[in-house]
Amino acid sequence: MKFWVAASLILASVYILPSYEEEESGARLLVSKNILNQYLVEGKDLTVEYKIFNVGSRVAFDVVLNDNTFPESSFSVVSGNLKVTWERIAPNSNVTHAVILRPLKPGYYNFTAAEISYVVSEDSNERTIGYTSYPGEGGIVPQKDFDRRFSPHVLDWLVFAFMTLPSLGIPFLLWYSSKSKYDQPKPKKN
Amino acid sequence: MSRILRNFIILLLLVMPTTVLFFEQALSPNEILSEDSNSGPFPSSKHTIKTEEEQATIKPSPDADTFILFTKPNNPLELPAGKPVRILIGFTNKGNLDFFVDTLEASLRYPQDYSYFLQNFTSVTYNTVIQPHRQATFEYGFVPSEAFSARPFGLTISLSYKDSEGTVFQSSVFNETIQVVEPDEGLDGETFFLYIFLVAIVILLLVGAHQIVTSFGRKHLTKPRQTVELGTQNSDVDYDWLPKETLQGLNKSPRRSPKQSPRQRRNLRSKGAGEE
Repeated sequence: MKFWVAASLILASVYILPSYEEEESGARLLVSKNILNQYLVEGKDLTVEYKIFNVGSRVAFDVVLNDNTFPESSFSVVSGNLKVTWERIAPNSNVTHAVILRPLKPGYYNFTAAEISYVVSEDSNERTIGYTSYPGEGGIVPQKDFDRRFSPHVLDWLVFAFMTLPSLGIPFLLWYSSKSKYDQPKPKKN
Repeated sequence: MSRILRNFIILLLLVMPTTVLFFEQALSPNEILSEDSNSGPFPSSKHTIKTEEEQATIKPSPDADTFILFTKPNNPLELPAGKPVRILIGFTNKGNLDFFVDTLEASLRYPQDYSYFLQNFTSVTYNTVIQPHRQATFEYGFVPSEAFSARPFGLTISLSYKDSEGTVFQSSVFNETIQVVEPDEGLDGETFFLYIFLVAIVILLLVGAHQIVTSFGRKHLTKPRQTVELGTQNSDVDYDWLPKETLQGLNKSPRRSPKQSPRQRRNLRSKGAGEE
């Protein structure tokens, strides 16, 4: 009798365990955080994009995306929110969220991960906490350097034109005065 | 006594497969797959065996759960050659120890022999600590070489991490044979300008042919018509250069110019000589 009990227990454990592995079902969120700008410039807009993919088999509830990685001393928010909430994100769907910021200081800045928390399924109360991917360190270019490379330089060209004026204008005036002195207007023939 | 022995043998027979199953469960399905593909067709060379052993020593942790999602081309089995591929890797710490995620590396390998590397992609160092019951997402991107189009490859993406006790783990997040396909672009610049060039050549040839045909025809047409010399017309002549007297003389009698007869000319000359 004892033997049969032991045997059945072992058999049961063998057959139940593999199903236990696959039983794990619920929402699962993968979050990417990217900076869309090629040049990060002090005082110019910077777009941060968050993409949330629900790769689980169930709806994710009460999804809170919170990004504390932009301190107010170095970034000001132009538009969008750094803390966003979605009531639900359906399985096999994705959500994109963007925030536009303005860096206030030049220099290197380490862009780190934002935090996301959600409830895996409706009946559970436990919140799953996750981190987004992070873009890494990026250099914020001072506005002066950026302008030096990319502005149209209108004022510079005007100054240049003004400074080249004497060297072009004085010979022209000399030539014009002599021309008008010696060049009588020809009487028309016929 | 013999009965006890028989029972023991039956029990042993029952226990043996369970232990084997338990042992196999400790390995993740991905690892089993990679082991299969590794040991399958090419077990011969010493090097392969060695790498196999090395790989076998680093196993994924049972407390770590990884997930891979291809975000740029949605279908991971067909990657466009020369185009960036972006993936997201989810990592969940299900255990009670911190995990320290080190690096992620990806490589394209020869599909028949996974120890043979065809393209190694930059490994990314993340250096991120993941506390118990936390999740993290990592992003990775690579570009399959443009030369690798329309061929199968073994794509292996593996994440190496360690726990706070210092044990090193590695899970192969993705290990499958994929197809690198030619990117389907509607119209790329090169072919567009090639067509424009061809059209330009055709037009040039047409213009040249037209020129030849018309010039040939004109020669035939113009030959029989002979031009008749009409001489200078009076209206064409510019008399400005002539002195006024000559002009008046001309106007009075166009037919009889002063130098018509030698005698008159002589008279004129003697007259002029006398005047001077």
